[in-house]
Amino acid sequence: MIPLSWYLVVAFVMIGLGAYGMVTKRNLIRILIGAEIMGNGVNIALVAFSLYNPVFSFTGQGLIILVISVTAAHTALALVLMLMYQTRYSTVDLGEPVTVEARKSD
Amino acid sequence: MLMQEFEALFEEVEFVVIAVVVLLLAYLALEHREIVYSVFFFGFMAASVAGFYLLLEAPFIAGMQIAVYTGGISALIIFGVLLLPRAQGSSLEVLQTPRMRRIGMILSATVMTLSAVLALVFPWSQSFPADRPPIAQDLAGLAAWLWGEHGIYVQLVALMMLTAVIGSVAILKMEKTEKLSPLKDRPGLGSRGKENEGASETKAHDEEHQDAKEAGTQ
Repeated sequence: MIPLSWYLVVAFVMIGLGAYGMVTKRNLIRILIGAEIMGNGVNIALVAFSLYNPVFSFTGQGLIILVISVTAAHTALALVLMLMYQTRYSTVDLGEPVTVEARKSD
Repeated sequence: MLMQEFEALFEEVEFVVIAVVVLLLAYLALEHREIVYSVFFFGFMAASVAGFYLLLEAPFIAGMQIAVYTGGISALIIFGVLLLPRAQGSSLEVLQTPRMRRIGMILSATVMTLSAVLALVFPWSQSFPADRPPIAQDLAGLAAWLWGEHGIYVQLVALMMLTAVIGSVAILKMEKTEKLSPLKDRPGLGSRGKENEGASETKAHDEEHQDAKEAGTQ
């Protein structure tokens, strides 16, 4: 049987990868993908904990259903916000509007 | 006995293969230069994560993962890429400063190290016994649990979906309203506004006319 720590290592490496993507990327879509990867890591950890719990209940799986639905909803909302961002700043580069503002102030 | 050992070994090999594929695809989704390929890699990664759920004996979650992530969220992000043509610019992939990259590397390395310590050093085996109860793959049980006494979960999901849809539409409407001409030019309010404006204009004109008449008589 696979030990719980194996699942946790994979989940935490995914969370780290997602954090790396969210911090270093300028493209809004890549930042969203980073957030999704982090969410997947969290889901794996939750399901693993739920299954390895000695007192079995479906709480973990019910929670995952909730989390996956929230992820779908926040992705839709994030895409709408990205559309607004592009309409307002004519770019999806997260760094550029700051630069434009800085130029304006200069 | 030998068969059980073989099964355990096979399960571990499956886990390692799925883990390597998932992590490789996640890295490619973040680092590939073409954003469209990145989204496809993300979709494949989400489908591979379903393999973990199958190993963890949660087939419903595996199906939901493939349906929602691979079928829904990946398609949604592809639509996003199509609607945001500027997202495909390769200039976005070049970081302005290597400092940001270094910070990102340090942050993610810290997260991974702390997490690995938590996963490997913390005595999970004492918290959770190695032999788990034989529950697995009880779809009927999950359905009874979800739709029976925990129906609030389903209602919460429905409410959140509804809120997200209404929120998205409302935000886009707000954006369109901002772009339209000011409020007084809108048909409903505008006509009344124009009437009032017209009335005040004629009133002012009459007053001027009267003033001029008075000046003339004087």
